[in-house]
Amino acid sequence: MTSSETPADDSIDPMAMSDDPVIRVDGLTKHYGDLVALRPVRFKVGRGEVFGLLGPNGAGKTTLVEMLEGLIEPSGGAAAVLDLDIRHQRDELKQRIGVQLQASSYHRYLTLLEILELFGSFYRRSVDPMELLERVRLDDRAGSRIGQLSGGMAQRFSIVAALVNEPEIVFFDEPTAGLDPDARRDLWDLVLDVRARGATVVLTTHYMEEAESLCDRVAFLNAGEIVALDTPRALVRTLDSPYRVELVTSEALDEHVIAAFDGTRDVSTEQRADGYVLRLNAEHSPDVLRRVEALAAERGVQVLDLTVRAATLEDVFLSLTGQTLSAAPDCEGVA
Amino acid sequence: MGMLLGASIKMVVRDRQSLFWALIFPLIFLGIFRMFSFDDLGETGLLVAADVSSPVEAALVSALQDVDYLNVEVRVGLDEVAALVAFEEEGFDAALLVTPGEPLESVDTLLLNAVNDPIGHTVTEAAIASVVDDVNAVLVNAPRVISFEARAVDVEVESYFEFLAPGIIGMGLMTFGVIGLAASLSRYREEGVLRRVRATPLAPWKFSASVVVAHLLVGVAQVVVLIGIAYVLGADLVNSGLPGFLLVSLLGTFVFLNLGAIVAGRVQGRGAVESMANGITMPMMFLSGSFFPTSGLPQPVQWFVELLPLTHMLRALRSIGLDHQQLWEQGPELAVLVAWAVGTFLLARVTFRFQDA
Repeated sequence: MTSSETPADDSIDPMAMSDDPVIRVDGLTKHYGDLVALRPVRFKVGRGEVFGLLGPNGAGKTTLVEMLEGLIEPSGGAAAVLDLDIRHQRDELKQRIGVQLQASSYHRYLTLLEILELFGSFYRRSVDPMELLERVRLDDRAGSRIGQLSGGMAQRFSIVAALVNEPEIVFFDEPTAGLDPDARRDLWDLVLDVRARGATVVLTTHYMEEAESLCDRVAFLNAGEIVALDTPRALVRTLDSPYRVELVTSEALDEHVIAAFDGTRDVSTEQRADGYVLRLNAEHSPDVLRRVEALAAERGVQVLDLTVRAATLEDVFLSLTGQTLSAAPDCEGVA
Repeated sequence: MGMLLGASIKMVVRDRQSLFWALIFPLIFLGIFRMFSFDDLGETGLLVAADVSSPVEAALVSALQDVDYLNVEVRVGLDEVAALVAFEEEGFDAALLVTPGEPLESVDTLLLNAVNDPIGHTVTEAAIASVVDDVNAVLVNAPRVISFEARAVDVEVESYFEFLAPGIIGMGLMTFGVIGLAASLSRYREEGVLRRVRATPLAPWKFSASVVVAHLLVGVAQVVVLIGIAYVLGADLVNSGLPGFLLVSLLGTFVFLNLGAIVAGRVQGRGAVESMANGITMPMMFLSGSFFPTSGLPQPVQWFVELLPLTHMLRALRSIGLDHQQLWEQGPELAVLVAWAVGTFLLARVTFRFQDA
């Protein structure tokens, strides 16, 4: 919808964002008995930012977000949201934030319109329900019930239901989990629209492409810890070899010769039906490509295919934690 | 608060399951029990083996035919074996075998009584014995020393259906309160609705209050509808006025709603919650006098039954609805119900924790 007007590029300085922080987290922790869900975390979120918490299931994203929403009691540390203490000023806090929860639903016996009217009545100020429904193209479903909506519609509704009170900060917990790619992109536009209207957005996800396209800054969470925090572009730049090269050749090239080239890492070969696949990470691709091509020509090996891509947040996460986002154990909600 | 209450009422009346416990379940019982006519004794089909050409036997048969509820059929030459076959195959209930006796002119009679309900059995035997005595007296021209006359007097005798109707209304309120509320609370918890509400500034007590008040209002509507249906079916329950009846209903429903909240708070998982709720309501339904007076129970069981809230609710409902008593005459019953209301309310508050949602 409005993604073109509000591109999530990296022209925003993360430090400038934190000059006017709306969320300050100082050593917040959570444990359930012996189980540590969140080790002390520290960060700030600036006004107007789309801030992403990226990590595999069970990393502690939901625990962290629900503490900031006033739903879970922290075990230690402190945090302020809109300068309100998350332990002692919850009522006021809840007045001013919007919340979309991961595992929650709405009253199945009320219509969409009735739910929005009801939730609006809980707040000091509220937006016209029909206007909200129009914003997510559900105005023609105002009289429907939750059970009559598709997954994508229900998710759009849960987003718009978080906006009934014109919140200053909106928390989205895995807003696109389980949706098909089209519905997912649809929701991305919606999230950016929320930001364009002036709200700060905090969003958790385990889809790295979602974080890359939406977030001004991303915090990587793994096993209850923040392992990195920066803009997506800056995070990728921290890799010593930010290019991924894949070469298909007619004969195998000597891995060891290539691994000895300057600026190559993690060289591997695989034999496939259509030829030999050589994979490597490169610091600066043009140089490395020239030398590999020269080597192939020298050995009389034909290059059948060549792909070079920039590293992604997924690669960053892999290099930081040794595991992929998607392959991590699915155990969210141990809490 | 008005918006919230309105939404809570909509949630109750649009919930088919809760509506089933509120209305359909008691209606089924009202309908089924109305179909059985426990209040009629019915007729006894009596076969008489007699030779009506004999004046004695003719007098006996004619006297038997005068008894209203005996359906007499004379079958000459019927013996005991043939009578048993007639019971099996033709549905007769009894047979009187008349045989010539000593001296001449006298007869012997044998009653084969196959009426299987105890009252009917006794009544049939007594009636026939009395007919035999009467005929004897008439035939020997004995002077009548004691005369007997029976006259029906108009005291209001409550029919079984009238006894039953308040029982079923109380039972309906109990299943609606305990099962209906426990099921919907556990569903709201499982679906994450409670958690979503908790993320708003709404005070938890307001949410709980709206749910309770909505159920009480629907409960009152339920009582009014069932009273109307019971009236149509032949039980007038507003003898001493509706307000007292409704007030007892409300107090009892409040106790049952608290029990529902306690069950939802103590037990996890919707299936387990519903089983537990059924486990509480089913024994109470049968023990507390919904269908039969508790006076028929063994003494130790009666002591236990006296502790149950439904027992006292039904007693008060019957006193007001059937016996023309006023609300203030229900002191002991109201005291027990109030004690239950306070106790279950306090327990529900600590058991069902909104914070855990």
